[in-house]
Amino acid sequence: MSGVEFVALLLGLAVVTLPIWMPGRAVRWLGASWMALAVGVTLRATGVLGSSIEVAALASAAVFALAYLSNATALLRRVAFLVPSLVLLIYVTTLLMYKAPGNPFANERSASPQVEAALRAQYGVPENATEFFGIYTRRLVVEGTMGPSIKVAGRNVEDLLFPALPVSLTLGLLALTIASALGLGFGLRAGLAPHSWSDHGSMALALVGISLPNFVLGAGLIVVFALQFGWFPVAGWGTVAHLWLPALTLALPYAAYIARLVRAGTIEAMQQDFVRTARAKGLPESEVVLRHAFRAAVAPAVAYLGPAAAGIMTGSFVVEVLFGIPGMGQWFVKGAINRDYSVVLGTATIYFTLITLLNFGVDIAQAWLDPRVRSVDRDGDLV
Amino acid sequence: MIRTLLAIASAFAGALLLVALNFGASNEERADFVFLNGSEPQTIDPGLLTGVPGGRITMSLFEGLARYDERSMEPVPGVAESWTVSPDGRRYEFTIRKDAKWSDGTPVTAHDFTYSWRRVQDPATGAEYAYLMHMVEYAAAFNLYGGQADRLEGEVAEAFRKFVEAHKEGASRDSWQGFVRDHTLADLVGGTPDPTLLGALDPAVGLASAADLVAVGEALSGEAQRRRKLFEWADAHFGVDAGIYAIDDEKLVIQLIAPTPYFLSLVAFYPALPVPRWVVEAPGNARDWFLPEKIVTNGPFDLESWRVNDRIRMVKSETYWGRDEVRLGRIDALPIEHEATALNLYLTGEVEWLTGQYPLDLSEALSQRDDFYAHPGLAVYFYKINTARPPFDDPRVRRAVNLAIDRELITQQVLQLGQLPATHFVPPGMPGYESPVTRLRFDPEEARMLLAEAGFPGGKGMREIGILYNTNESHRKVAEVVADQLRRNLGIEARAYNQEWQSFLTTVKNLDYDISRYGWIGDYEDPNTFLDMWLTGGGNNNTGFGEPVFDRWIAAAGDLESFLARTDMMDEPWQEPDRIRERVAEFEIAQSPEERRSALGKLRMQILREAEAILMGDAIPIVPIYFYVNSGLLAPEVKGFYMETERNGVAGVNLRSLHPFRGVWIDESLARPGLRR
Repeated sequence: MSGVEFVALLLGLAVVTLPIWMPGRAVRWLGASWMALAVGVTLRATGVLGSSIEVAALASAAVFALAYLSNATALLRRVAFLVPSLVLLIYVTTLLMYKAPGNPFANERSASPQVEAALRAQYGVPENATEFFGIYTRRLVVEGTMGPSIKVAGRNVEDLLFPALPVSLTLGLLALTIASALGLGFGLRAGLAPHSWSDHGSMALALVGISLPNFVLGAGLIVVFALQFGWFPVAGWGTVAHLWLPALTLALPYAAYIARLVRAGTIEAMQQDFVRTARAKGLPESEVVLRHAFRAAVAPAVAYLGPAAAGIMTGSFVVEVLFGIPGMGQWFVKGAINRDYSVVLGTATIYFTLITLLNFGVDIAQAWLDPRVRSVDRDGDLV
Repeated sequence: MIRTLLAIASAFAGALLLVALNFGASNEERADFVFLNGSEPQTIDPGLLTGVPGGRITMSLFEGLARYDERSMEPVPGVAESWTVSPDGRRYEFTIRKDAKWSDGTPVTAHDFTYSWRRVQDPATGAEYAYLMHMVEYAAAFNLYGGQADRLEGEVAEAFRKFVEAHKEGASRDSWQGFVRDHTLADLVGGTPDPTLLGALDPAVGLASAADLVAVGEALSGEAQRRRKLFEWADAHFGVDAGIYAIDDEKLVIQLIAPTPYFLSLVAFYPALPVPRWVVEAPGNARDWFLPEKIVTNGPFDLESWRVNDRIRMVKSETYWGRDEVRLGRIDALPIEHEATALNLYLTGEVEWLTGQYPLDLSEALSQRDDFYAHPGLAVYFYKINTARPPFDDPRVRRAVNLAIDRELITQQVLQLGQLPATHFVPPGMPGYESPVTRLRFDPEEARMLLAEAGFPGGKGMREIGILYNTNESHRKVAEVVADQLRRNLGIEARAYNQEWQSFLTTVKNLDYDISRYGWIGDYEDPNTFLDMWLTGGGNNNTGFGEPVFDRWIAAAGDLESFLARTDMMDEPWQEPDRIRERVAEFEIAQSPEERRSALGKLRMQILREAEAILMGDAIPIVPIYFYVNSGLLAPEVKGFYMETERNGVAGVNLRSLHPFRGVWIDESLARPGLRR
């Protein structure tokens, strides 16, 4: 690692960790600035509200003012930590990519140095990592683009990833829905009658679901439901029928895991004092379960939904390849295999944002489900 | 409680709504012909294209001066309705047909070709396949010389200064040849007339004295200036009034450096296809002019849509001059990469054509099917040997390895699709060419003797050898067999190991391996496409192999006139001098231009055959394993799709597996029962 890279890394780490010790006012200022920058860049890159730099600047200014005046210090402290983390992530990823052997222009037939130089100039991929990072951030902030993909000529990274994102989200959401529904059903049933045959049955099934790798599961589902019965197409994307097998493949392992969590949660909740109180009041059992035990029983599963969603999103590569689905997972892996630097950074950025948002959402859901999680920080904001 | 349930239910409903929205308007009609394209094309820009998946699309969208006839695979008139060749075989004059049109209605003119060909050679374009057209006069000078002059004057001059400082009293052979290799000097000054440089590039020499160093330094800067001047001239004239130029809208002239028998076949190939200048050069179009919303084409099909990782859709062109012969209305190309998925799609009738994409384990079962095909291809599977690293710097060890491998076992037991074991390098079936008879065979006895001669009796004293392959199931199988045979037949400890693709390429390029798997697919039907990669210091050589005789002969095959003008040509160490003499005599007594051309063609093939014999001779840097087959599944209702070719009544094989969709049609009555629509 060169000296410049080392210094840049240290500086990045300092900026990321700074907000932890900063006083409230400074955090508000810093957080609002980062938030304004993030909003501006996102608007430019996604082309929402047109993508002129004036509109983006205006929106950024508005976001800055709102954020600074809103007094949501805890939120801004998070933002002041997260946005520079993303920048640091991009830089570290760039360094790692450049350290990996090969380059985006290497091919089975080696190109002459002249050809490689011409291509490097065309695509803006210099031989130095820090220089590339400079070009990349400039593109992102000034031009509002994630840069051209090298292995899919003619497209910018956003042209590849933004159409793929809804595909993955659709698939992921459906998978998560299936996983939650199945997990809740089986878990509750098992937890309400521990050590019964239905408990053992469900848990044995769950164990199989967790242990089966998804390429085996997917292939099995294809053989039975597509090739044998002909109910679903074997692969492809375009109609609702194309959706079920991949969603199910993606969902089953998570369903199994959720079922185990819900089972444990239910068993524990049913032994709590408030359940005994509810029963003592003479409430019917269904009321006891649904009204009193339910929230406590699903709390661990809800906490798991964040990581599960992230796992479904980032882990969909095998399923996408198996079912020929034009989603994000393919870019996640292919970008790295092809050394398509801008695609790698693009997927890293999108997944970072997605996972951050998901965790944020889960935090809020948990606070809502469990009063004990709610607390007040020293600036008086809800965390 | 109600609140909780409501929230959960609405989250689920939201998710399903999103799903429904996503599919609102995407019910499309099925195409007439759907095929599996292997992977997503990297580009479909004819000038920049190198890959097969992109090629299938581009060759349907654009048409060159000539096109490949689907039955004979020979170049037949395309945009050019006719052409004439000068008696010396160097000047081609094409007449463009009047009814050739771009999809926006503009007529196709000779100027479209001068622009497109110049664009491919323009160094700023960065076209990998530019070298395919370097037989056109001034093309190489325009394409390469500027960049080479820059490097000679920049990094090479700088490095040479340092080299001189480090070796004031002259440099040894090893250190000078190391310098030559590190800076790909043979490639940088290739074709130089400077005797000092030519002498210094001989792999056998060092630079003995300080005076030698000074002389070479001067020669390098002189060569840089020479190249710079030639580049500037070519920049001003190539595509304007030299190399390729238009006489008027209908007449196009192409002037070659030397007669090139396969030139017309390249005229139908990617880098020779025309591109619409007004679209390519429109502001903001430079990088994406070929996307569906912008592209203008001149071939049998138009590009309707291109959804990355989903499908490319082409529709019949209404402006193409031969539209009456085009019978498919819509074609879809699917970029599926997973082999089992590809096979499933074919078996359920979603696609009509699958090329080579099925799980290897099923090849035997699939080969029993009526719709399965397998025929020889224009590709060779081989191992490179690192001749720069002991023990393989000893040619006897390399020969021993070649003799110790049972190729038939690999083709018959491991691959099982009728692949031919390779005992030479150029695949069979090349028109007009026959590979030399080599000493390569399976002979463990002699292999052991050679190894003993080299100082490793029974493999004793030899370190462990690594056999490198890029991560892939079938490469692994072959590598394991090869390692096993080296162990068994030679007593060498050999270990097969894999690397991911980009790491693999880097390792091979840096000569950081012992033995490494490789494959080579011919770009055109001529042995040259398999042989010129082995030139000393060539970018795809990567074995350290360098034989001045080989280099000389490859150069001779490219420029027979200069070769025939030499008085000492019979002094070359020919293996079959009689045949050379015979061909030369045939040329000398030839009367008509046709006879002379045909005699020259035969002489050229003989010289290439001699070159291949050198490659496979004592210094052999590779282990040829087998020649590929093209295999796949084709639905019975697809017609006008030929695996065998027929040229003037002579049957052949569709070596390159090129299948122009122009003449393809569907006979519904032959459709697989219950599968179509």
